Amino acid sequence: MVERIEDLNLPNAVIARLIKESLPDSASVSKEARGAIARAASVFAIFVTSSSTALAHKQNHKTITAKDILQTLAELDFESFVPSLTEDLEVYRKMVKDKKESKANKKDTSSSENANASSTAVAEEAIE
Amino acid sequence: MGEPKIQSPVERAPNDETVLPLSRVRVIMKSSMDTELITNEVLFLMTKCTELFVRHLAGKAYVEASRQKSSETMEYKHLSQLVNKSKNLEFLLQILPEKIRVHKFQEMLRLNRFAGSDSSSSESGSESDG
Repeated sequence: MVERIEDLNLPNAVIARLIKESLPDSASVSKEARGAIARAASVFAIFVTSSSTALAHKQNHKTITAKDILQTLAELDFESFVPSLTEDLEVYRKMVKDKKESKANKKDTSSSENANASSTAVAEEAIE
Repeated sequence: MGEPKIQSPVERAPNDETVLPLSRVRVIMKSSMDTELITNEVLFLMTKCTELFVRHLAGKAYVEASRQKSSETMEYKHLSQLVNKSKNLEFLLQILPEKIRVHKFQEMLRLNRFAGSDSSSSESGSESDG
């Protein structure tokens, strides 16, 4: 829940870092400009979220998906963002998948040593 | 020499790390949607996307600043000028308006007076609920 408008602000230190990374070393940015970019970023997130939500609703979906966001970005004239975000998304999905698999593997190998409810249940099933 | 060196939005390898806090982006997203459900994947993508936007906006505004060769400092006016002329930044017009001098504004007001008198200059309509 948003109780105060400041809850929508993004942390200044992180914004400053992102700006610095994307400019030449010799560049400097006024404090006012930095604040303005931070505000713009919040508004951008709100703008993209509500546009994606509208797109999802149009397709009778209740929740937005990554695809909705990418499609919305293209519609809002930010198609230049789509390729690199798609790549990031692939890396993210792979990370999630790997995590899941390593978790599953761990369960398999450790089931013998930890006598928790689920492993005894498996054992009981095996007996039957 | 004249040509300012502009790095194209820094070549980065695709990655699954975010620098902006996910929790804050979630709050921002929730403020503008009616469902509560935001998957981790969507949250990740929106955070990445907002980071990219910050880089994009800073880079473009810096081009604007160095074109005017006043200095290497990016000022507010470079942002507002950029917003004013970029179609895909239209949604920021009210957030980053161009600043004008008071006497210029007064002149605009004077000119506007001919165009209609129902522009609301008073703030009488505040409803106060208990």
